Amino acid sequence: MAAFRVTRCLIRDSARLRNVEQKSAVVFRCARRTLSSESANNSPTDGRSPQFSDEEVQNILTKITGLDLQKAFRPVKQELKPPTYRLMTDAQLAEATQKAIQVAKERLKMPPVLSERKLIDDVLAEDKFLEGLETVKYVFTDITYNIPHRERFIVIREPDGTLRKATWEERDRMVQLYFPREGRRLTPPPVFKEENLKVVFLQDRHEDILDLCLVQFEPDSPDYRRVHNLTYEDIDKHGKYDLPCSTRHFGGMVWYLVNGKKIDGLLIDMIQRDLIQDAASVIHLYHMLHPQGSAAKEAGEQQAQGIDLVKIFARTESQKAGYVELALQAYQETSTERSAQSSSP
Amino acid sequence: MHLLHFPLVVIRVAFPSILSASLLLKHYHGGHVVIRLALGGCTNRPFYRIVAAYNKRARDSKHIEQLGSFDPLPNLYNEKLVSLNFQRIKYWIACGAHPTKPVAKLLEACRVLPLHPMTVTKAERFRKTAAQKEALGAPEEGSEEASESKPETA
Repeated sequence: MAAFRVTRCLIRDSARLRNVEQKSAVVFRCARRTLSSESANNSPTDGRSPQFSDEEVQNILTKITGLDLQKAFRPVKQELKPPTYRLMTDAQLAEATQKAIQVAKERLKMPPVLSERKLIDDVLAEDKFLEGLETVKYVFTDITYNIPHRERFIVIREPDGTLRKATWEERDRMVQLYFPREGRRLTPPPVFKEENLKVVFLQDRHEDILDLCLVQFEPDSPDYRRVHNLTYEDIDKHGKYDLPCSTRHFGGMVWYLVNGKKIDGLLIDMIQRDLIQDAASVIHLYHMLHPQGSAAKEAGEQQAQGIDLVKIFARTESQKAGYVELALQAYQETSTERSAQSSSP
Repeated sequence: MHLLHFPLVVIRVAFPSILSASLLLKHYHGGHVVIRLALGGCTNRPFYRIVAAYNKRARDSKHIEQLGSFDPLPNLYNEKLVSLNFQRIKYWIACGAHPTKPVAKLLEACRVLPLHPMTVTKAERFRKTAAQKEALGAPEEGSEEASESKPETA
């Protein structure tokens, strides 16, 4: 009997540990289930417009994000431990670097972008004769272990006798109470209020706040979207595009900017850093999402590639056309100088 | 001949673990499984666990399985939190477990069990007394107003 209970506890704990490690897997599972039933978020009513989770879109975004190992594995605040040193041959070092690249790719997996969840407004029963017996609400949560949190029954019996389904906030609270997730708090910390977010942005800690947001909120909750949108707006306003570069949030930021048609700052930044191919990929993504624009049509006519795409975009649909063209000119001058220098001895 | 010198000792073999567990398990005559509230918590702070246990066991002692919890004190949002493992509750009720009155009330409130006729009767009685109090209150107010106005006029 005791052994049975111990094994049951062990199984439960190991399952929970596995759940904690596979946070992103759970999030993706939720994303896939909701995405199959919902349509695109910002794009027009065209049913076949590209989604965030499309393979092509994901490929473009991962390519743009890049893979800077130094940034992906930069020191994180953790428990003090003396460093370990290992003697390796060249082959072993290559193997270790490969493994590190794999781990970095895991860490750089983009969190999903979902449309906002619809409000729950379902009344299961209206028993008016029970009115006045109680002065408090009763919240009934189903704690059966093997059902996904999205399908869990959480109902509330109000003092006036109505039995209704719990709202999303109440659901999140109850699920966190009975199945706590590491790092998530019952009430969201005050960092996520607007005035406190401004302080965070002044300190250039955009990635930290986005990581916190990912842990605290569900990907389709309005709070998650609000915090993400504010962060992306701030990055765009101040041109701090190198902050999310080579982190998992870069893809989401690019998607938001492309949907909102605000890619000029990003393009200028990329051209100044000599990342012309990435700039071309961004414009390619833009044409995929807004195929009715003049830039898309011209590019399609001329079958442009690389720097020509950027030039067409700068001419037609760009809002900061002057800056983009200046940056392009500067890049072309430097590239001709470099080729001149390399050709001469 | 030497063998006769060795004493014949009957060595009692140790029971295998399965047998010893069943020897240690208490057997109840005529007992049955109940689903009831086991009290926990601290002074002036009760907390109940919804538990499947043998009828004869002490209220808070060893239970067969915990099926949920009930917090009788309302929280910040004016809610009393009840958690129920519906799958296992269904199993135990199917095995013939009897829920006690408070547990039955909770299960009625979330529509797992059908309504008890006394619940409806009690609700009606409550409403009748509430209506009577209101009726008593109204003529009292009327008489108070009348008595207030009389000294003013007088």
